[in-house]
Amino acid sequence: MISFFRIIKFALQGVFRNFWLSVVTITMMIMAVLSVTILVAMDYVKEATIASVKNKVDILVELRFNAGSDEVEGLVIELERLTEVKSVRVITPQENLEIFRQRNQDSQISRALDIYDEEENPFSYSLAIGAYDLSQYPQILEFLNQEKYSGLVQVSEFDSHEEFIERINSIAEFVNRYSLYLALIFIAISVIVIFNTIRISIYTRRDEIMIMKLVGAGNSFVRLPFVLESVFYALAAVLLVAAAVYPLVSLLQPVLNNYFQDYSAIDLRNYFIGNLLEIFFYQFIALALINTLSTSVAIRRYLRI
Amino acid sequence: MIKLVDLSKSYSSGKVAALKNINAHIKPGEFVSIVGQSGSGKTTLVRLIIAEEKPDSGQIIIGGWDITGIKDREIPTLRRQLGVIFQDFKLLPKKTVFENVAFAMETCGFSNKEIKKTVPQMISLVGLKGKEDRYSHQLSGGEKQRVAIARSLVHKPKLLIADEPTGNLDSINTREIIDLLKKINNLGTTVVLVTHNKDVVNSLRSRVITLDSGQIISDQEEGRYLL
Ligand SMILES: Nc1ncnc2c1ncn2[C@@H]1O[C@H](COP(=O)(O)OP(=O)(O)O)[C@@H](O)[C@H]1O
Ligand SMILES: [Mg+2]
Repeated sequence: MISFFRIIKFALQGVFRNFWLSVVTITMMIMAVLSVTILVAMDYVKEATIASVKNKVDILVELRFNAGSDEVEGLVIELERLTEVKSVRVITPQENLEIFRQRNQDSQISRALDIYDEEENPFSYSLAIGAYDLSQYPQILEFLNQEKYSGLVQVSEFDSHEEFIERINSIAEFVNRYSLYLALIFIAISVIVIFNTIRISIYTRRDEIMIMKLVGAGNSFVRLPFVLESVFYALAAVLLVAAAVYPLVSLLQPVLNNYFQDYSAIDLRNYFIGNLLEIFFYQFIALALINTLSTSVAIRRYLRI
Repeated sequence: MIKLVDLSKSYSSGKVAALKNINAHIKPGEFVSIVGQSGSGKTTLVRLIIAEEKPDSGQIIIGGWDITGIKDREIPTLRRQLGVIFQDFKLLPKKTVFENVAFAMETCGFSNKEIKKTVPQMISLVGLKGKEDRYSHQLSGGEKQRVAIARSLVHKPKLLIADEPTGNLDSINTREIIDLLKKINNLGTTVVLVTHNKDVVNSLRSRVITLDSGQIISDQEEGRYLL
């Protein structure tokens, strides 16, 4: 037990003795942790966005005004036969009118209805089609765009969502690719830096090490402070990033809200608060392992026992 | 205490023969001087005894323990049974006298209580009482060597090996250090003194082993400096 505290003391001395070197070491690790954290965050943003879009979006097909309920039902049956289609919901002209009224309750747009009589309804039937998978929408659209339905189908709305998902995917892909490269680069730099830091730490303490060996200190007592020192660097980096993540995300959240407008299902702040421990605990474990490995190599090379 | 049987050691894969067929038996409680010119293999012998080097052939037995093929993880156990001092003291400059001695005990897992008890004992044994808080640059050469001796004694070793401990000291300090080693010997510790100081050897009137080119050329009880 007493040895354990002394090993910790020695490790801390190692951190503070070459203070600026330690600062550089920790900075490099912060970059590594930060880029991995960005990867994790981006993955969440992507998943959350797509999930929310998936829940919300159907293909909205506006049928022509002359489409009668029989024809509509015929189309529904044919659509339901498609393997891609999960559900088809018929929205009657009456429902459409109501939806329109509700949506535009307080705006000037509702005045547009004033030109119609009470009984007149300027809306036609429409269909809300749900697919099993987002990627299947184009096939469904293709089906609807067939010549034989041209008398029935007026507008099929889908582009905006497709565009949106594409936008998310491409942003996610872009960020993921570059933060992956960055993470790999910073992890590689960290490995080299920690190796060098421990090498210098060993060099700084060479007299102490020589005396320790001379008076019969146990091998683990000689080695462990260096391993522990490298684990301290990992801990410092992860803790600093974890402490910075809340203010960072708070800054980012309004930007996200602004960008994704209707899709406020993305709550990075909550995501990080909810998963803080998990995200950073695993990163700490991974980084500590990497550092321990790198340190072991340095010890083997530079610490002759 | 130390038994050397047909011990040979060469460096640079056989090119330099530092020791050749050394046979010697040092009994418990003895005070033995090992003399020889520079390069005759004295330090090599010390390094073999403290297991810093492995012999090419032969056998080394320390206190009944055959350390010839000692494993790395057993070396600390060996080192805790002997004390070693050198010409260059090997003190830590940023530590005080007390801390230098305490450091050895800390790294060997002694409790704080034992450290508080033992360190002052050793410091007063070597005659440095009152100078516990000095740093090594505030000490004379003789005092530095006393600190090193105090440090080497924290394990209360049965064997003390001194490799030219007075090589950096003037004659008065040399005298004092030799007297201290004699005192430690009188308290029951076997002392092996490596030196090439003629006056020291002649005044000791104890066993002298003389090395020349890696071989023992004389081994005399109450010997004199030959070379
Ligand atoms: N690490 C080493 N590598 C190669 N040769 C060495 C080494 N150490 C000592 N020697 C050689 O071994 C011989 C004995 O050296 P040493 O034991 O240091 O002698 P002494 O201590 O009596 O002066 C010398 O010829 C020296 O040059
Ligand atoms: Mg020598």
